[in-house]
Amino acid sequence: MPVEALFDISEPGEAQAKEVCKGRAVGIDLGTTNSLVAVVQAGQPTCLRDEHGSLLPSVVHYAPDGGVVVGQEARGLAAQAPQDTIASVKRFMGRGPRDAEATRRLTPYQFAPGGDSESVVRFSVLGGQRAVTPVEVSAEILRVLKTRAEVALGGELDGAVITVPAYFDDGQRQATRDAGRLAGLEVMRLLNEPTAAALAYGLDKQAEGTFAVFDLGGGTFDISILKLEGGVFEVKSTGGDSALGGDDFDRALAAHLLRQMGLPEDAAGDRYLTRRVLDAARDAKEALTKLSATEVVIERGPGDIWRGTLTRDELDHVVKPVLDRCEPPARRALRDAGLEAKQLSGVILVGGATRMPIVRRLVASVFGCEPLADIDPDEVVALGAAVQADLLAGNARKDVVLMDVVPLSLGLEMMGGVAEKLIHRNTTVPCGAVQTFTTYADNQTGFDLHVVQGERELVADCRSLARFKLTGIPPMPAGMARLQVTFLVDADGLLSVSAHEQTTGKESSIRVKPSYGLTDDEVERMIRDSFAHAEQDVGERLLVVERVEGDRILQATRAALAASADLLVEGERAAIEAAMGALDEVKAGRDHLAVRAAIQALDAASKDFATRRMNQALAQGLRGQDIGAVESKVGK
Amino acid sequence: MLCAGCGAVQPPDRTADHFRVFGLPRKFDLDMVDLERRYKEMTKVLHPDRFARADGRARRASLERSVQLNLAWSTLSEPVPRAEYLLSLQGIEVGESASSKKSGEVDNRATQPVDTALLIEVMDLREALAEARSRGDRAKVTSLVADVQAHHDKEMAEVAVGFAAAQPDLAAIAARMVAARYYRRFLEDAEADREGDQGTAK
Repeated sequence: MPVEALFDISEPGEAQAKEVCKGRAVGIDLGTTNSLVAVVQAGQPTCLRDEHGSLLPSVVHYAPDGGVVVGQEARGLAAQAPQDTIASVKRFMGRGPRDAEATRRLTPYQFAPGGDSESVVRFSVLGGQRAVTPVEVSAEILRVLKTRAEVALGGELDGAVITVPAYFDDGQRQATRDAGRLAGLEVMRLLNEPTAAALAYGLDKQAEGTFAVFDLGGGTFDISILKLEGGVFEVKSTGGDSALGGDDFDRALAAHLLRQMGLPEDAAGDRYLTRRVLDAARDAKEALTKLSATEVVIERGPGDIWRGTLTRDELDHVVKPVLDRCEPPARRALRDAGLEAKQLSGVILVGGATRMPIVRRLVASVFGCEPLADIDPDEVVALGAAVQADLLAGNARKDVVLMDVVPLSLGLEMMGGVAEKLIHRNTTVPCGAVQTFTTYADNQTGFDLHVVQGERELVADCRSLARFKLTGIPPMPAGMARLQVTFLVDADGLLSVSAHEQTTGKESSIRVKPSYGLTDDEVERMIRDSFAHAEQDVGERLLVVERVEGDRILQATRAALAASADLLVEGERAAIEAAMGALDEVKAGRDHLAVRAAIQALDAASKDFATRRMNQALAQGLRGQDIGAVESKVGK
Repeated sequence: MLCAGCGAVQPPDRTADHFRVFGLPRKFDLDMVDLERRYKEMTKVLHPDRFARADGRARRASLERSVQLNLAWSTLSEPVPRAEYLLSLQGIEVGESASSKKSGEVDNRATQPVDTALLIEVMDLREALAEARSRGDRAKVTSLVADVQAHHDKEMAEVAVGFAAAQPDLAAIAARMVAARYYRRFLEDAEADREGDQGTAK
């Protein structure tokens, strides 16, 4: 290529390229509802699974004994301990305690009191004994995925790509990176979710052309327009709403159900009821993807069961005002890309909420083309992230490159509270800008710099990212000082700002740490603490998991003994009850291995009995009885 | 871009103008297909993703080179910033910040005087737009927008012709750029109003 000749050639021997690591690098989709980890194996990205499948529910339960439970088990504990079980933590990432958007909605959580307007939101768990930040909660989820990957790959990870909504601002990105560090991950890159999805499609389906990615997840909505050509994935524009997702459908539907139940829309502050209604709303919403009507059963109070029916038309009516908020960002993204809908080659659907028929209708009406959903919309982001991780680790083809953009303009506060944009939205990253400012007053010896993000003209309407001060400027008449401010956005979309007074050479620079974030010191301290407690934590976690499992088995066995006493043979009841007693006893202790052993002993003692019950159920099924009814009777 | 001997990425030449970044001469009439091809090829080589595992020096060089490349591309790939940039290389400022100096911002560049006839014309156009909008006369709004767009495109076409001359009359080109900017502002505001209307109609 001729241009190469124009650049300097370094002296021979200098700076040998570092040896390329053939590392184990994974892609992680840290989602609002579910999280996943994927890896490229034999050239193909694959999601790693556990016994529940590839999706790890993004739910973290803080147990009274100090243990932490993540995933399916934690979701199961949400109904009995709603305040101590954090779901949808992503919505709180990088947000402040007074962020009305994040905290003042129908929510089962308790927030730690205090905290000025510029500190991070904290969940108060265990009756106020502990306060955890969203970064810590997210790190718990990441740790589980890290372990899953290390087990599957048979060794430590060298790095991870974590995805973020394209529309995440700088504070939300920083928080995600901090969570990765806290979980002990080497975060190689933060990758925008729609870009990850396009990467998965582009490489798998060899798609070429201009595509829209419509990503409606649990808590965030992204729209990106990308051009895919010759291995270059170029984001033309992006837009969205980092506080709009399937959760909002659940909340709208929950409010609707509460009205039908004759209860106030905030469930009168009853956190248990709130959790039950939100769960019922989510289940009903999912059922109505395939069905046109579904029954809803909610325990309104002790022994007070409410039954109702919900139709898809009702659901559509309830969620429409929320869904309508997707349309303006989608149209703006098209306009920012300088395109009309008919110029698109296709629309890629991402996120569980895009399964809803009403969402597909909206997509068809805005873009006028049939959406693509050949890759599982729940897995596509993690698969794309794995591909990017593989590229970064240097394992993969060299002719693929991602060109992403800044989602929201970055600027500085000027006199009078107006925002001066230095970097405009949809600028390709990495990017930079330099601007020179001067003093207003005679003998002004310092500059206050206030970094903001957003499209609005007034600083008050933008997101405050950071404030810093450059001091020690010698007294000069107004307008003489020359303050040169440099903005630099790296490939993760993270901003750093430096300022330099040219007449004196005084320098000041910061890596922007968001106002609503953790300081570097706080993150360091958390990392040290987590190392100190790492071993203990693992034990605690396993203990909690085993206890939950033990409880489940005890309950099921008790129910089976009551329902099928006629199937027991001589001495069997005594053996089973002895094993149950032993399990009950060790469960109160702190040894997770003992609990596991007792569970296995109970399994062994009741195995034949369980087999007979299964055979009986099957026989009854063959006689024309509904197997579903039998199963529910046996307390499975 | 890379060292021929060891393949290491080299830091940017800070004195290079946006044209030299692409290895092109300073001119307005660029082959856009060629420019985009150069941009994409260079991005593939220089992008920080290529250096995720490299040492700090190479990562820094890759970042700086990519920043320089992206800035050069965003300036040269559109005719308005490309023309403004060519004029600024000759010490003539017609860009957004040249006339609308924000308080506190240093500005000691030569700015272009604005033709009074142009100002009156644009004021009349804005009045006509406001009137048509208040009457709800959508047809009139549409035709005004189309007229101004045509004015704008004509000025930019003249800019291209001007730069193509053997001895470009830079002052004349700058005057056309200023006129085009006024038309563009009109179009942007008309678009913003239209969106505002749609917003409130919901």
